[in-house]
Amino acid sequence: MEILRADFPFISLSMILPVVASVFVLALREELSKWIALLGTGLTFLLSLVVVFSFDYSKSGSVQFYEEYTILQELGVKLSLGLDGLSLLMYFLTTLISLVAILWSIRDEQISFRLKEYYVAFLLTETFLVGVFASFDLLVFYVFYELTLIPMLFVIGVWGYKLRLYSAYKFFIYIFFSSLFLLLGIAGVAVEHFFDFGRFSFSYFDALKNSYSLGLEIFLFLLFFIAFAVKTPIVPFHTWLPDAHGEAPTAGSVVLAAILLKMGTYALLRFNVGLFPNATYELMPMLITLGILTIIYASWMTIVQNNVKRFVAYSSVSHMGFVVTAMFLLNEEGLRASIIEMFAHGMTSASLFMIAGFIYHRLHTFNMESLRGSLRFMPLFAVVVATTAFAAMGLPGGSSFWGKFLTVLSAKEYSYYLAFLVLVGAFFSAAYVLYMLKTLFLDFREESILIHFQDVRGFKLSAFVAVIIPILLIGFFPHIFFNMFEGSIDFFLKLFEGLM
Amino acid sequence: MDIKEVIGTIELPKISLFLPELIVLITAFVLFTLDLILGSKQKRWLLPSLSVIGYVLALLSIVVSSQNWGDTFYGSFTNDPLGAIVKIFALIIAIVMLAFADRYFTAKKSFYGEFYYMLAFTLLGAMILASSYNLIIIYVSLELVSIGFYILTALLRGSFISKEGAFKYLILGGLSIALASYGAVFMYIYAGSIDLREILSYEGSDYHYLILGLVFFLIGFAIKIGAVPFHFWLPDAYQGAPTPVTAFMASVGKLAFFIPVVRIMPLVQEKFSLAWMLTVGVIAAATMLYGNLVALVQKDIKRLLAYSSIAHSGYILAAVAVTKEIGLKAVIYFLVVYAIMSAGAFLVVALLERAQGWSNEIQDFSGLRFNALFLAVAFMVYMFALLGVPPTVGFVGKTLVFMALSFDKLWWLAMIMIVSTAISTGYYVRLVVIMFMKDREKEILPFPKGVTEVVSLVFLTIMTVALAVFPGVIWGLIEPASELLFAR
Repeated sequence: MEILRADFPFISLSMILPVVASVFVLALREELSKWIALLGTGLTFLLSLVVVFSFDYSKSGSVQFYEEYTILQELGVKLSLGLDGLSLLMYFLTTLISLVAILWSIRDEQISFRLKEYYVAFLLTETFLVGVFASFDLLVFYVFYELTLIPMLFVIGVWGYKLRLYSAYKFFIYIFFSSLFLLLGIAGVAVEHFFDFGRFSFSYFDALKNSYSLGLEIFLFLLFFIAFAVKTPIVPFHTWLPDAHGEAPTAGSVVLAAILLKMGTYALLRFNVGLFPNATYELMPMLITLGILTIIYASWMTIVQNNVKRFVAYSSVSHMGFVVTAMFLLNEEGLRASIIEMFAHGMTSASLFMIAGFIYHRLHTFNMESLRGSLRFMPLFAVVVATTAFAAMGLPGGSSFWGKFLTVLSAKEYSYYLAFLVLVGAFFSAAYVLYMLKTLFLDFREESILIHFQDVRGFKLSAFVAVIIPILLIGFFPHIFFNMFEGSIDFFLKLFEGLM
Repeated sequence: MDIKEVIGTIELPKISLFLPELIVLITAFVLFTLDLILGSKQKRWLLPSLSVIGYVLALLSIVVSSQNWGDTFYGSFTNDPLGAIVKIFALIIAIVMLAFADRYFTAKKSFYGEFYYMLAFTLLGAMILASSYNLIIIYVSLELVSIGFYILTALLRGSFISKEGAFKYLILGGLSIALASYGAVFMYIYAGSIDLREILSYEGSDYHYLILGLVFFLIGFAIKIGAVPFHFWLPDAYQGAPTPVTAFMASVGKLAFFIPVVRIMPLVQEKFSLAWMLTVGVIAAATMLYGNLVALVQKDIKRLLAYSSIAHSGYILAAVAVTKEIGLKAVIYFLVVYAIMSAGAFLVVALLERAQGWSNEIQDFSGLRFNALFLAVAFMVYMFALLGVPPTVGFVGKTLVFMALSFDKLWWLAMIMIVSTAISTGYYVRLVVIMFMKDREKEILPFPKGVTEVVSLVFLTIMTVALAVFPGVIWGLIEPASELLFAR
């Protein structure tokens, strides 16, 4: 991997900005906290736009804007931040969704107490997430990966719905337990570097040079895999997700679904595929099976959900199944599908959770049945719901179309049976979206209850617009996004040249 | 023998090598004398301030003593970087702890001047224990530390729990010292020397005596550090002792008792390394699993932290099983940072105990955030540090242990460590959750906190994070320590 050093520390600046904002939030009056948070995330988003436009797309496989600060020379720990095409997309997703989360929270009735802590939690989450996606040092990656847990623990536990304490607890224990395996794996990689080169190193670039015996490589792969499979989540490790996503406040669910799940899939690609290609190749059948299982099982579970938030949560799991399946097909279309689906799902799941949150405001329930026909009185909201739902379903012109279409294409290269299984998965995901649309749009309901409903407007509308624009952009102009990570795909494919 | 020859072999002790110990010794005697002479009003301010002055001077004198390493008193006292690290942190924690003592004992209505000089003698014992290879010096200093702890534990004279804890500690502590000295005898029989370095590098024909000796010696220390199945005294003693003393026992006590074991680590010969790894590894696994499982069901915060202390002995022992340089570094780092974390956690409890209606039950922590935000945040930092969440010292410690374990390919032990850490999530996170996410169940009245207490707690809390974010500070001390130990 080629490294291009930064002329200007863009990444560390976009990590420091939210921290500075949270200091101001803590120092100033409580009523001001939302506006400071908005300013902080807004500025960070603008900064990320600057980064996106000054990124050199002809070298998207190399690490750009690279900064390095030594933490401990003797153990080879460095704070090394940089962006290649893949990280860039995730970095942009982070800053965008963080802004959306704050935009939503400003008018969220659930958020009426302990405002300072709430906004600090979101600002710090943004910093940590940028750290996750920009770190090219395994230990520093782990630090940020774990740090995201703490603000999320608070967001779920303090501002969540009925089962908040139980869900917060479960969320923390699941993720923390699984990531201890990751820590052991990272320690193992650093020690292997010592055996090969005579010094410890946690650097990603150094870890790429390591050589392992196949047994050890598979063992390390599995240590990494357990952590990321729980985070992603892959069935059967998904049981924490419906609780955490279902009980978190709306903005919390948005960040959880749109960005935190991507940490799992991003890391699977970056570390599992990148560092252990032989093991990935050996375990490919198992991984694809798990992916397909995730798609189908989660789709079924989605259809039977009564609670709108749990419905969206399970649909996230099934989307993650597409990402995982496509990733471990290990060909060009597969990787492309996988990465674009990560970004697309970030947009659609954010929108879907905001829809759930909006419905809760109006009806004070998440029960699907009591929502029957409720959309007729909110035309603007109906447009938002329809756009998002069709995009999530995989209709051409929507964002998830490319992910699903390319997954089928790449599965076809192995066998038609596999492609058929993916299609079955896509069918079920269409089924649950249509079921939701039917309930919301077409069912009858007495008009008197709903007549006073107010349509979506103001900050909430702007939050919806902020995610719907990228949804349509991906749908109609996918090449803008494909260009971003073309080089990264080449990098990963090169690792498998001798094997395939 | 000619008298001149005898005089010629007399070696004058080099004062610069044991200056910190000397200063603490003088402080102890001064405190002892003043305690006899002074009236109780003057004692109140004079004894703590003199202690602090003495310890600060000792801390400064480490700068002098670290100018040259080496042995003195005919090789029975060794001044080396490892000892220096222990002394630095033992003194710092003693100074920090003193800030809490007076108010605590006043609130408990049991102020005694003995506290200050017994503390000084205990500290002296810990410092000597940390800097000797000589079996007899180890024995004597071990007794000094232990007797100090027995008395300090029983210092709440009105409390039954305090006496019970001290008595249990006395009996099992006595057993431990008996076993350790018995082991020392066998080692002497094997090598004809009382210096651990000579014993472990001696190529004798009959290994049985050495193995027997090492086993007894290590069981003696296993009792002291609270390794399963020799841990029974620990929760009672920690619960019964006055809480600042508990903080001192959990931090400085553990630090000092581990050091002789650490000194043996690099000396374990090739022939033993497998047996060592298995024995220590199995004890470590049992200790961490047992400590964490039992901590889950505790209702009293001090007992909970005591079992967490047992579990941490297990984590540290896991790194002791790896007799390589990385294992040694992990042990030293973890020991030092555990001292800071546990001292901090117990000192927060010591502060809270002064509040009206506080009974040390876990439920008392409900909604603590609304009553005492500063204490709640500090306690949260310690909980996350003990759990091993980044960016705290506990995380770096666990990472180092994992590195050590994967260095020796001890995957089974690593897996057990992962499982037991996951179990520990149950009680650490529960505390955080009830402090920050539950409503108040009991009204805890705000109580006056001394400036020194707040400053000390802030200092410890910052150290808990700073030593992890800038590990270079502490690494500068650990690197020479482990290199010197392995150079022998």
